[in-house]
Amino acid sequence: METFIQSLVSGVLTGSLYAMIGVGLTVIFGVMRIINLAHGEMVMLGMFGAYWSYTLWKFDPFVSLVLWVPLLFLAGMLIYRFLLRPIITGDELNGLLYTAGLSLLIANLALLLWTGDYRTLNLPYALEPMRPFGISVPVPLAIAFVLAAAITGALYLFLSRTDLGRAIRATSQNPEAAALMGINVTRIAMITFGLGTALAGAAGVLLMPSLYLYPTVGEILIVKCFVIVVLGGLGSIPGAIAGGILLGVVESFGAVYVSVAYKDTIGFVIFLLVLLFRPQGIFGAARA
Amino acid sequence: MRRLIPLVAALALFAIPLGVSNQFLLHLCISVLMWTVLGVAWNLLGGYAGQVSFGHASFFGVGAYTTMILYLSFGLAPWYGMALGGVMGALLSLPIGLICFRLRGPYFSLSTLAVAEIVRLVALNWESLTAGPMGLLITTLPEVPFFGSAVNWERKEPFFYIIALVAILAMLGTWAFTRSRLGSELVAIREDEDAAESIGINTVRAKVLTLAASAFFAGVGGGFYSLYYRYIDPDAVFAISLSMEMVFLAVVGGLRTVIGPVIGAVFLATIAELFRDRFTVGHLIFYGLFMMIVIRYMPEGIWGRALRLLRLSR
Repeated sequence: METFIQSLVSGVLTGSLYAMIGVGLTVIFGVMRIINLAHGEMVMLGMFGAYWSYTLWKFDPFVSLVLWVPLLFLAGMLIYRFLLRPIITGDELNGLLYTAGLSLLIANLALLLWTGDYRTLNLPYALEPMRPFGISVPVPLAIAFVLAAAITGALYLFLSRTDLGRAIRATSQNPEAAALMGINVTRIAMITFGLGTALAGAAGVLLMPSLYLYPTVGEILIVKCFVIVVLGGLGSIPGAIAGGILLGVVESFGAVYVSVAYKDTIGFVIFLLVLLFRPQGIFGAARA
Repeated sequence: MRRLIPLVAALALFAIPLGVSNQFLLHLCISVLMWTVLGVAWNLLGGYAGQVSFGHASFFGVGAYTTMILYLSFGLAPWYGMALGGVMGALLSLPIGLICFRLRGPYFSLSTLAVAEIVRLVALNWESLTAGPMGLLITTLPEVPFFGSAVNWERKEPFFYIIALVAILAMLGTWAFTRSRLGSELVAIREDEDAAESIGINTVRAKVLTLAASAFFAGVGGGFYSLYYRYIDPDAVFAISLSMEMVFLAVVGGLRTVIGPVIGAVFLATIAELFRDRFTVGHLIFYGLFMMIVIRYMPEGIWGRALRLLRLSR
């Protein structure tokens, strides 16, 4: 029973970060109808950001959020403006291939700049886990969970309560109608892409103290990210949150009860099963 | 007259080792031909059928492991192993196809990525069969009598002839394929899958068959790779980047063309060789960059664009 609760808790904690990455991808998909294969690389950049600001300037990774999130938001808007916008109108497979190229480019530039070494952060407060109710919780993961919940919550409020947020949701429901209502769809798409990138980057910063970092880490993260958004239904934000937490829990249980070696496989198998039997996602509303 | 061009090209190809004795140049040619086979294989599905797969490394890897294991454990002559590697690739593609083809467009692409990761993880963890991350190594290849003399596997010429033959077969196969009934069915599927289904085309069957053919050649390519480099491990032959390289060379060379993958392969192999000594990932940076440039400025690929210019000038 203790093992069960322990793996449930660590699953939910990791899952909250997965959820953040998934929300980023799903928001972008909602507005642009593009599956951004370079999304994992944005997480990787966030991780490197946190790594370098800690190594070079002794910035606490969680504090460095205030630096990297705005920077990645800006980077996302620039990527959209100069790289993505020209191809967005074409075939949706073109978007997939194009972002695949972008992902190769960013990952291998990182490999060139920073070599393929595995890196970790050794935070002083990470040595001793917290032990509430007899289960062990790593301190950095707990902080990351709280911040991830806060950021995701803030995003949710932003999307549901502000004019800009409503404009984003309107564009994702129906771009033509939104344009007719006077919404500048291109500008919304640019902001959304920045937002999605910033979310991925923030998740990277939060993950850094708990995960090995290497330049191609995005490869495995993007595959997990697909699992998450497909579980929740592409385009659905609550779905992505639920999907992220579910994947975290499944992986954690899989590692304990099935085998560590196959823990990633379990996620992919679920992914395939969902794609086959409920392509709109477990939680997602059916939408064309 | 124009029909003679492919024949002349094929003969010229086989004459290359007679004129070129520089082993590095031969290696470059072998590498181009191997990538050509993979590009042609991917193009069958990704170009002609319009089904973008991000998971072709699984067929390549299964071909490589089949060839290697058959030789190491059963002493089966490697060239049979290569063909059986292709067969295993095709067999593996059947369940994968039946599952993934229930999805369309980008969803199909994502599912192939997931399947390829499952296959890689299985290969990594099934140590009794694949030796896991340690990989498999061939130390010597058996001598083969060939018209009274023994084939010397330490030289590159035999490898050249083998892969040249496979490449020509794959391209001939593609050419015949585009003129077959299945080829026309795929055109219909690519343009409008629902309409194709409504006029009685069994779309799943057409796509599964194409995937099997595509997986066969990818598997043969994998088998050849294992013999030529004599060492394989899961992270080399099941890598996501390998799947991406196949996508790259077909897209850059020209989708839905027989020659496109050759152009893509020349491009890819040249870039890879240029950077191999200086920094090993340099070529991947360029692949990414070129993929973006090509999709933005000439989505029909280098050869596709060249063909269009040729037609315009006529």
